Amino acid sequence: MNDIGEFTLLVALATALYGCVAYVMSARGNRIDLYLSADKTPFIVWACVMISSICLLRAFLTDDFSLQYVWAYSNRELDTFYKVASFWGGQKGSLLFWTLLLTTYMLVVYFQNRSKNLRVVPYAMAVMLVVVVFFLFLINFSTNPFERIPLPPEDGRGLNPLLQNYWMVIHPPTLYLGYVGFTVPFAFAVAALISKDLDDGWIRMTRKWTLISWFFLCMGNLFGASWAYVELGWGGYWAWDPVENAAFMPLLIATAFLHSVMIQEKKDMMKVWNMSLILLTFAMTIFGTFITRSGLIQSVHTFDEATLGYYFLAFLFVIIVACVALIIARLPLLKSANELDSFLSRESSFLFNNLVLLGIAFATFWGTIFPIISEAVRGVKITVGPPFYNQVNVPIGLALLALIGIGPVIAWRRATFSNLKKNFLRPVLAGLVMAVALFPVIPLGNRAEIYTYVTFVLCAFVLTSILTEFYKGTVSRMGLKDESVVGALTTMTWRNKRRYGGYIVHIGVVLIFAGIAGSQAYGTHTEKHLKTGDSFEIRGYTITYEKLIAIEATSVKTRIIAQLAVERDGKRYWTGHPEKEFYKGQNQPVSEVDVLSTWKEDLYMILADFGEDESATIKVYVNPMVSWMWTGGWVIAFGTMISMWPDRLEQRRRLDRVRKQEQLFPSPAQE
Amino acid sequence: MRTFKIKLLTGLFVLVWVLAGQAPVAGAGALLSDLENQLMCKCDDKCGKVLINCTCSTSDKTRAKFSKMLESGLTVDQIVKMQVDEYGETVLSAPTKFGFNLTAWMTPFVALVAGGFGVRKVLRAWVGKRDGIDTAETPAAEPEISKKYSKRLKDELDGIEL
Repeated sequence: MNDIGEFTLLVALATALYGCVAYVMSARGNRIDLYLSADKTPFIVWACVMISSICLLRAFLTDDFSLQYVWAYSNRELDTFYKVASFWGGQKGSLLFWTLLLTTYMLVVYFQNRSKNLRVVPYAMAVMLVVVVFFLFLINFSTNPFERIPLPPEDGRGLNPLLQNYWMVIHPPTLYLGYVGFTVPFAFAVAALISKDLDDGWIRMTRKWTLISWFFLCMGNLFGASWAYVELGWGGYWAWDPVENAAFMPLLIATAFLHSVMIQEKKDMMKVWNMSLILLTFAMTIFGTFITRSGLIQSVHTFDEATLGYYFLAFLFVIIVACVALIIARLPLLKSANELDSFLSRESSFLFNNLVLLGIAFATFWGTIFPIISEAVRGVKITVGPPFYNQVNVPIGLALLALIGIGPVIAWRRATFSNLKKNFLRPVLAGLVMAVALFPVIPLGNRAEIYTYVTFVLCAFVLTSILTEFYKGTVSRMGLKDESVVGALTTMTWRNKRRYGGYIVHIGVVLIFAGIAGSQAYGTHTEKHLKTGDSFEIRGYTITYEKLIAIEATSVKTRIIAQLAVERDGKRYWTGHPEKEFYKGQNQPVSEVDVLSTWKEDLYMILADFGEDESATIKVYVNPMVSWMWTGGWVIAFGTMISMWPDRLEQRRRLDRVRKQEQLFPSPAQE
Repeated sequence: MRTFKIKLLTGLFVLVWVLAGQAPVAGAGALLSDLENQLMCKCDDKCGKVLINCTCSTSDKTRAKFSKMLESGLTVDQIVKMQVDEYGETVLSAPTKFGFNLTAWMTPFVALVAGGFGVRKVLRAWVGKRDGIDTAETPAAEPEISKKYSKRLKDELDGIEL
């Protein structure tokens, strides 16, 4: 089976190479025979990569330690659940997994579009195949997951204990689905540039792909935060690690793109800008993989054998140079009649939104690469950690939050003073009421607390501005159609999925902002060394250390669990079980925290240490409003689903638009 | 000119406020947290985490050492300086705010302000263009449109290889 896996990877590479050449030649020479031949390659490449992946998965499930990769990331005692996850636990398997996702996306694109726009699609398929070729080249000649060990050992080394968490099965695939997904809009953008088909067709063809990729990247970031929160045991969820930054930057740029394409769709403007944004988003996804796999920047996420940096750097260089050259070559075609009715318009607010999003992305990028710059300029290696990002990104983030509130209430094309006054009245009043109500009750002793106060005020402003939009739409529909509140709200949202889905996403973002602000400024923690029966208090909770439990979970894993009774107002409220897990052959034990999560706050418990006399060192954090962030994530998921849902009305409107255009510019056949 | 000066001063004020260090906080726990926030963990595993976020055994020992140092009367700044002397600048969790490192702090804001001016200029140009068209006679716009389509047609015809 391993030979089959290795062989199919070579076949996939050869087929992908042929596909690239054949697609380009068929499009350039109008060769239908070549096109029909090339059109078979996406399926063949996908099938080969799928067979190879099945072979590797089989090796994991059957404990085939003759493969170096299986030996390095699995052992006989590992749960089947984690044996599956080990597939992407190391560099070799993760690259194969990446390629599997990429070829699967490519296959779906192929089935969706093979009978559509024959000017653009062949080039788009060729671009995707170029990316596939790059990854297959790495897998075949640099990081082969089917590399053998001449004398297979009895057992494997096992998966890193930190990765033995259910998030390991969810977070990396989600993030990869986001990263890989941006290849599709990128491919169509490049195809549009090559084929000179530069209207908004490529945007419409890839809108759903952009949204899906954005959604997965967003969820991937949130799942990563959630994993860090429950697994790393330091009470936080985001450490501004370079690899976290690498996943955050494309998300920001893609968000800017999602907003600015609306202007292109509505007004046929900003073509160069949108093209640049999607190319930059893709470049950032490659930059992210470069960081993870180069070992150039120190990160807790870097793969053990991070040796592929130069390949990714070269690929990144080629992409950037080729894309910039293409954009410059097509500049005359990309020029549009850029004109705005007024400075005060939603279009302007979208431009500022783009500026702020890119500002945060740039600050994050700058912080990530500054250690390299410092070493190159001064010869001194420095660290750029959370204090830098918090000080630089928080004020810019607040400006972004304000813009989320301004966007919906400012009119498209031209906003008048009376229109502004009318639309801003309620949100501004809500912000003021929040400011007055919070001022006497929350502390404002340091900058973090002041930022948090401003965040809460802005959240009230933004939430009111969004809810006012829902309210106005519902009321006017109730008046026109004689519908109930729920009926009017549902129909209105369903008939304008894109607009109201977007507003729901914004509500999710507000919840995330509020959650971050609350947990950053008002949290508290304590650490106590306790003997059995000892108690201590923190923020109204009385915590009693009851006992220490030792469990031999498997032959390689021992669990030491502290039982902690939590009382509130004299009544037993909850029992916490933070634990430490010891794995055979690992120097450091792994902390498994226990969290009591409510909307108000999280009671977060860690077993920091324990003694032979059954004493224990317990760390307890009270983190306010953390669950607001996770709720915000689900709200974003809900809003994105509404936005992505197929819209017959929109399709009908588009058809009408096309018919009108055809009447204006009849085709020769009609004439 | 006066408006520009006011804007500039406001911008500088915001920048100084943003870049200013944390307000001094009282309490031994808060001092320790402040210290942990300023320094990286220097364990053998090179975990690359800020001390306050680190859970390795070395970080626990370092925390205990810092607690004792604070109790002995040393200030946060003095301990930070001692750490820098021992490990170099890499022990700091963020760049210092002087010399070349200042560029780390300033560049994002300078880029943002420059971008802001750029967006303003672009918007003005776009609005101005529209105003120009509004004042002109409507038929005058037609040749422009025809020119645009003619050019596109020409480019597309150029692209066809016979």
